[in-house]
Amino acid sequence: MTTPMNQYALNVNGSQHTVVAESDTPLLYVLRDDLQLNGAKFGCGLGQCGACTVMVGADAVLSCLMPVSSVGKRPVKTVEGLGTVQRPGVLQQAFIDEQAAQCGYCIAGMIMRAEALLEAVPAPSDEQIRSHMALNLCRCGTHMRILRAVRKASNKMAGKA
Amino acid sequence: MSAPLNPARRLLLKAGGALTLAFTLPRLSLAEDGGGPDLPGSLKKEPMLDGWIRIGADGSITVLTGKAELGQGIKTAIIQLAAEELVVAPARIQLVTADTARTANEGFTAGSHSMQDSGTAVRHAAAQVREILLGLAATRLNVAPGRLAINDGVISGPGGASLAYGELVRGQELHRTATAESVVRKPGQHFLSGRAFQRVDIPAKVTGGVAYVQDLRLPGMVHARVVRPPPGAAFASMDQAATAALPGVLTIVRDGRFIGVIAQREYQAVRAAAVLAAGTHWTGAAPAAPQEARGDVEHMVSDATTILDKGSVPAGGRTFRARYRKPFQLHGSIGPSCAVAQLVDGKYTVWTHSQGVFPLRQALAELLGVDEALIRCIHVEGSGCYGHNGADDVAADAALLARALPGKPVRVQWMREDEHGHEPMGPPMLSSAQATLDASGQIVDWAYEVWSPTHNSRPGTAGNLLAGTLLAQPFTPPPAKPIPQPEGGGDRNAIPLYSLANARVLHHFIAKAPFRSSALRSLGAYHNVFSIESFMDELALAARIDPVVFRLRHMVDSRARDVITMAARQFGWDQYRRQPGRGRGIAFARYKNLGAYAAVALEVEVARDTGYVRITRAIAAVDSGEIVSLDGIRNQIEGGIVQSCSWTLCEEVLFDAAGQSQSHDWAGYPILRFPQVPDAVHVHVIDRPGMPFLGTGEATQGPTCAAIANAIADATGARLRELPFKPARVMAATQLAGKPASRG
Amino acid sequence: MLLACTWRPAIAPLAQAGPAAFDPALVRRGANLATLGLCANCHTTQQSAPFAGGLAIATPFGTVYSTNITPDRDTGIGAWSEQAFARAMKDGVGRDGSHLYPAFPYDHYTRLAPDDVRALYAFMMTRDPVRAPARANDLTFPLGLRPLLAGWKLLFLDHDAAPADAARPPDWNRGAYIAAALGHCAACHSPRNALGAVDQRQFLGGGEAEGWYAPALNAKSPSPIAWTRESLTDYLRTGIAAEHAMAGGPMQAVTASLAQADPADVRALATYIVTLMGKPDARIEARARDAAAHPVVLQPAPAGNNPAAQQLQLGARVYQDACARCHASGRTGSSGGALQLPAAVAVYDPDPRSLIHIVRDGIPPGPAEPGRWMPGFANILSTEQITALAAYLRHSAAQQAPWPDLAKQVAAANQDTASK
Repeated sequence: MTTPMNQYALNVNGSQHTVVAESDTPLLYVLRDDLQLNGAKFGCGLGQCGACTVMVGADAVLSCLMPVSSVGKRPVKTVEGLGTVQRPGVLQQAFIDEQAAQCGYCIAGMIMRAEALLEAVPAPSDEQIRSHMALNLCRCGTHMRILRAVRKASNKMAGKA
Repeated sequence: MSAPLNPARRLLLKAGGALTLAFTLPRLSLAEDGGGPDLPGSLKKEPMLDGWIRIGADGSITVLTGKAELGQGIKTAIIQLAAEELVVAPARIQLVTADTARTANEGFTAGSHSMQDSGTAVRHAAAQVREILLGLAATRLNVAPGRLAINDGVISGPGGASLAYGELVRGQELHRTATAESVVRKPGQHFLSGRAFQRVDIPAKVTGGVAYVQDLRLPGMVHARVVRPPPGAAFASMDQAATAALPGVLTIVRDGRFIGVIAQREYQAVRAAAVLAAGTHWTGAAPAAPQEARGDVEHMVSDATTILDKGSVPAGGRTFRARYRKPFQLHGSIGPSCAVAQLVDGKYTVWTHSQGVFPLRQALAELLGVDEALIRCIHVEGSGCYGHNGADDVAADAALLARALPGKPVRVQWMREDEHGHEPMGPPMLSSAQATLDASGQIVDWAYEVWSPTHNSRPGTAGNLLAGTLLAQPFTPPPAKPIPQPEGGGDRNAIPLYSLANARVLHHFIAKAPFRSSALRSLGAYHNVFSIESFMDELALAARIDPVVFRLRHMVDSRARDVITMAARQFGWDQYRRQPGRGRGIAFARYKNLGAYAAVALEVEVARDTGYVRITRAIAAVDSGEIVSLDGIRNQIEGGIVQSCSWTLCEEVLFDAAGQSQSHDWAGYPILRFPQVPDAVHVHVIDRPGMPFLGTGEATQGPTCAAIANAIADATGARLRELPFKPARVMAATQLAGKPASRG
Repeated sequence: MLLACTWRPAIAPLAQAGPAAFDPALVRRGANLATLGLCANCHTTQQSAPFAGGLAIATPFGTVYSTNITPDRDTGIGAWSEQAFARAMKDGVGRDGSHLYPAFPYDHYTRLAPDDVRALYAFMMTRDPVRAPARANDLTFPLGLRPLLAGWKLLFLDHDAAPADAARPPDWNRGAYIAAALGHCAACHSPRNALGAVDQRQFLGGGEAEGWYAPALNAKSPSPIAWTRESLTDYLRTGIAAEHAMAGGPMQAVTASLAQADPADVRALATYIVTLMGKPDARIEARARDAAAHPVVLQPAPAGNNPAAQQLQLGARVYQDACARCHASGRTGSSGGALQLPAAVAVYDPDPRSLIHIVRDGIPPGPAEPGRWMPGFANILSTEQITALAAYLRHSAAQQAPWPDLAKQVAAANQDTASK
């Protein structure tokens, strides 16, 4: 069965885009190559490391596994949609404040995974944060700072400074 | 390592800015092909000040370093050093990193040398540039230099007259050799340290900016993937038709066992490579013999070198022995290696995250059969490499594929299976420790042996590029040679820093091993410190002496004593009361006996029925010499601790009964995830203003491992001597040990 | 008489912490029995606190939480004498005399030989104590009333010994004993009646656990490839039968536990179960073996505009876009080469719930354990897509009659996750 090349209308970070891709192209490649969004990263393509994490609707999703044909009307959010260097979003600012990165390759995925958690659970416990983030790997060992950054952002969102 | 004159680089410098460089300008007073031995850091390799610092007429400041950003924060640290000495706001500085066309040849960014070599060079070059600028201003303003003040690149005199840096430099003022002495600003004069100086690269990384070689997008760029043979297999046949018919496929390349496919769109390349792999047949796969895969290094052919032989063997005392073992382990970079290469008018440009762009260029020249001058390698950040990963190999893949499609930038992204399956691994090691204690519990004799395959297969030659060994006319890897002491490879940190009157250390170097092995963060130090520091604890227990006291009794080096004491104190060692299932451990090493000092004290909780080890808290005390970036040091130390926890608790490459690797992805090679990361990590850094920078990035790999082993022994009575401490192994050992020894 | 059964006396707590020394051989025997009896599967929720309880077990009557069975005096069973322990295993009665919910499968453990109970006691009492108070159960009134359990037991607690057959070899009998008294296979693999008891008339005829379907292990076994003693032993010890199955969902914990048991005992269990299993139809088996051996192309969806055909076409598209990358390529070294679906047990089950869960949840390896890894697609595919995919796989991979109520079951699985 051949994979047809189709046109897909995608809502990404609040804007409408039209891309032309084979139906089985994972969303990851569409975001990176067709929309030039760098946040979602290729880490394994197997759904094991979380570097490709984006949000689709309210869920954190592994974009390396999601065929572009499955996105439909669900809004896609990447790290670029949370803020910019000039105006970082709450999580992004928290990661900058905590200097929560070494090589930084996993960080955009971490931020999106955390964003999904904080949007669903406004005041998660440390235990909840740890277990929610479990799917995302960090090879450099930046975990302690990542946890602190998520905690910091969570406190900020809950209005606790 | 000599740094030859680089004609291509000189030509390029000619093109820019207020500082120009005439090709024929003679170098003052020094030999043609090298700097002076007295110059600090890498100024030895590149003695010209404008090889490091350039100032434009518009006041723009460019700092050049031959080192590369690996995520260790070196860019930030170097900018900070330069800004401090030049007395300018850091934001004014443009940093250029490893580029064969523009920067000094500082070899590899490895071995925790960056601050010692490049940082030192930049600091001194910047200091000397500042003094030159002061001298120029003094002349122009007719004021004694001592009466001038500098603020953010502007030099002003008492009368209010001022000159900006850009106004001062008009010709070749900075084109001169560095001197051995510099007027480096004193800690009290620093305006940057003490303030939190944030990493310059993090904002782009958290907002999706272009930051990695994986993010490069060049006009007309096409995508490629490689197909690799099973180990030892010969090429039999390849059905190209099905692949060639797939959408977007541009060309299929085969040269011997080297196979790649190039397509227009990225996923088209992924799909094409899968179809091509399925249609390719190999014969005679010859994976390793199972015992070799298991890492039975004591049975491999080796050459022994005595690296320490002092004193004599005393009579009497109690003698103890133990052996320690580690398996193959992976770098496991989170972003598989990637490179972009383009061939235009006979010249190659390769964008690569290789740790050494100059050695890579040399290897590529040999691989491609062209002059080095026709190849430019530009470092662009990749994900953390932790040593020699697939970066050089994928650069070779990209260059070969670019040659097949001249004019087009060809991007090669290794898949996860490519990286896990073909990166040069951290080799298996075995050590044998023996010591004799006298009646007072003092070590009176020490004998240590370590067996290890090579920790260095880095290119410089095409035979050390994976693609080079696959071509129809293959290159042969050069015979592996041990890295000599005092740095060492498998014998790195094999000589303890303790004062031992009678000691012998032997290094068994295995030149030929079943799989390619190379440098993995800290090289042999991880295993040697694991062994030595575990053994020290075993000796302390036998002597019935507290492990901290035992170490201090044998340590004369005051900086070592300081970190050991600080780690113990911050941990609360003397007040510690053991709770059921918990135990404490401490370990120390000075990286390479030349780099940073680090002591790690930690507490574990061991569940004997699942073998699950939890680290409740880890305390590190570190001395890196003079601190430039406190947060940078902390980040590297924390990271090293957590990564070492992963190596120590989880990691080994698995092989099946036929000797084939089964660790193709994270499912086959699990690493530490958030739930098992330590509950808390605290890093205490001792500042030594005025003392040389000491390499820090690899300092805690070994101490963390030994501290965990010691803590598990303390908690359960079970002494683990084989890595990793996976649940099954911990369970088996702790069940055997029975109930723990009576609690003190 | 009912009243007499309802009330059971408390057994005095041990005066001091349990006996300091148990015979190590007895403890080792108990350790093996505990792995066969799958105690940790319910009683260990955190790797760092084995046997400390806390697992939420959904029953038709509400949620029961597993208790702390470490020898902690206050929160575990540290004060339980051997007599109290034996009574719990045999009769489902706690030390204080209260009836235990049969979520704790004492209807199986009751068949344990006295020496085995003694060994299990020795093992449990020599574990490391963990302080972890039990969580309160959340049962639908009045079903939670413990005295009612007396009635339940009267009806369903059968003290007969495990099946034994002198005509069979010793390892068969050993396997039968393990299945009946320890592994409690029937607890998941048999249907239950309205009162939640195992329906003995349909012994091992297929059941459920945690929303997954547990296939029949008797004559109605749906496996497309015949199980052998060797393949079943491998599966029980590693979670993988190379040709046709990977333990998913609740079965993963079972195989993780059996991996630690005496291999001879697991082989015995496999010996027994295999003799109960029916054999697949020859044509189905030939097709499945062929698929297991090399990549096959699945039968395409039928053409046509009727809803059934359109659903199959959608399913085919979903398979092509989301699954084929791994499942069409055949087994390779990495997780990116997966089982050919005509050989997969789940598509032949009479009940689609296992397939639905595999698609939604995936099959990850155990914590920090190496293994194969199928990712989950719950957030990636819509309910409509999963339904279509399941229908398509049933049609093209299994080539069996469609599952009735498929859409309802996909929706129910969706709800299950949403309410977690």
